[in-house]
Amino acid sequence: MLLPHVTARVATIKAATIGVALCVFLAAPVVSFAQGTGTTTGTGTATGTGQGTGPGTMPGHDTAQQPAAPDEYPRLKITGFADLTFNTTKYVDGPRGFNEGQFVLHMASALSPRVTFFGELSFTPRSDAGTGSPPATGFNAEVERMILRLDHSDRLKVSVGRYHTPISWWNTYFHHGSWLQTSISRPEMVQFGTRLMPIHFVGALAEGTVPAGGMNLTYQGGVGNGRSSVISRAGDPGDSNGTRAYLINAFLKPDAAYGLQAGGAYYHDLITLAAPDGRDFKERIYSGYAVWNKEDPEIIAEFSAIRHEQDIGGPVTWTYAYYFQAGYRLPQFNRLWKPYYRYEHIGVNPLDAVYLVNPVNNLQEGNTLGVRYDMSAFAALKVEYRNYLRVEGQPRNYGGFLQVCFTF
Amino acid sequence: MGRGLIGLVVCLLVAIATLPASGQAKTDIAVVVHPDVGVDNLTLADLRRILLGDREFWPSGVRVTLLVRAPVARERDAAIKTICEMTEAQFRQHWIGKVFRAESPAGPKIVYSTEMALDQVTRTPGAITFVEASLVGRNAKIVKIDGVSPGQPGYRMK
Repeated sequence: MLLPHVTARVATIKAATIGVALCVFLAAPVVSFAQGTGTTTGTGTATGTGQGTGPGTMPGHDTAQQPAAPDEYPRLKITGFADLTFNTTKYVDGPRGFNEGQFVLHMASALSPRVTFFGELSFTPRSDAGTGSPPATGFNAEVERMILRLDHSDRLKVSVGRYHTPISWWNTYFHHGSWLQTSISRPEMVQFGTRLMPIHFVGALAEGTVPAGGMNLTYQGGVGNGRSSVISRAGDPGDSNGTRAYLINAFLKPDAAYGLQAGGAYYHDLITLAAPDGRDFKERIYSGYAVWNKEDPEIIAEFSAIRHEQDIGGPVTWTYAYYFQAGYRLPQFNRLWKPYYRYEHIGVNPLDAVYLVNPVNNLQEGNTLGVRYDMSAFAALKVEYRNYLRVEGQPRNYGGFLQVCFTF
Repeated sequence: MGRGLIGLVVCLLVAIATLPASGQAKTDIAVVVHPDVGVDNLTLADLRRILLGDREFWPSGVRVTLLVRAPVARERDAAIKTICEMTEAQFRQHWIGKVFRAESPAGPKIVYSTEMALDQVTRTPGAITFVEASLVGRNAKIVKIDGVSPGQPGYRMK
């Protein structure tokens, strides 16, 4: 047990560390401008066709970069996402009232013409803030992604780091930016913190795209630590056993059907349950999806099958999860409104020993009906009604949700 | 008084009739690349992949540098609507997502005038931009789209 003055000193050091980290984040944009990649210096004059923007008319966000000299590295760019949600449900299931969502900072820095660093940090409010000794902080800081990538060509890019596991389309398309996704929440099968599937992956990835006669085949192959003994987490400090996880993912984006993306993935790992249990289970995940990635309409359908088997033999269990979402950007009202609907299901196998030790919420049926209103080019308001049934025979829960989300 | 009024109306009608119609044929938008880019022709699908960041390298291995006019410019509108089949908002959201997904280190670089576009495209290896064809000088390298040059029948970038 630590003495009180030692505890206070530890708390002071932690506070100082967080303070320094925040100062670095706040100072970073200034650094990026100093490196010549400022985003708002629209000093060009409108000549030629006479339609350019003059000083002060910022074209906006990512696309607003002055051409930089090729040798100006590193080129750091920071983007942020945040959201605030109001929830009210018939039965308590998750946070109630106003809920601060994640405050997310994304960094992309070109280190050379072929080497790039990507990072993503999230700050999530904690329900246990102020409790414990030393008192828990108000927000949980997490390195969500940290990737260093070498781009050899379109056909081969190699990277190392911490990723969102590329075995689910949603998990790798929207990440932590709720403004990017149509709906308020992610489908439950890929919720952050879920134990159903590995959301994060620490290791190395090779990827690339080949034309394949206009089918544009993209592949990804990776090897990494797989899940930690706390199976909702990736093996950040190291693998929990001597068997690495590996994954293969491939998808097509055919030129002839612009907007269509379809693919599938396979993931293999050995899970070691936390002590004192310590049992090992082989995990195999098969997933597939098809997406019509336009807004009129937007259609997303995805499924995953998770297979567990104890490595010394025993029953094989399968758990299935899927969702279907459809949205449509209305052509009226300046295309600002987008209604959507999602159906989802997670059928947790009650005999699955991994999920018995690490419970996963069953979702017999989930229905989400909502509308998104883009109040500006970088901010949106979403309203949702959800009606869902966890387990057959239990009461059905329903509620209303409202979210303001934005990027900055 | 009455004849004067009729004369005024006639003059107004004549003036309106001689105004350029909004639907008047638009001039072609040329796709201009850096002189060292070893490509003479691109398909519309190739151009779309370049504009959306799905294709990042030329066959020679040089990285593509995408130079796009600032919003409201006709060249930008033509590229986004004709090639990407998107609205300005969709195009912006696409690129924010693209960088956020760690698929590309940065979005397109903005140029604020035709002169700036032509200057940057000749100075930046691997650069590609969109410029009104009538304003492109003789030294600039223009690539065909689906085998058709600007000014020829069937050219799709207008």
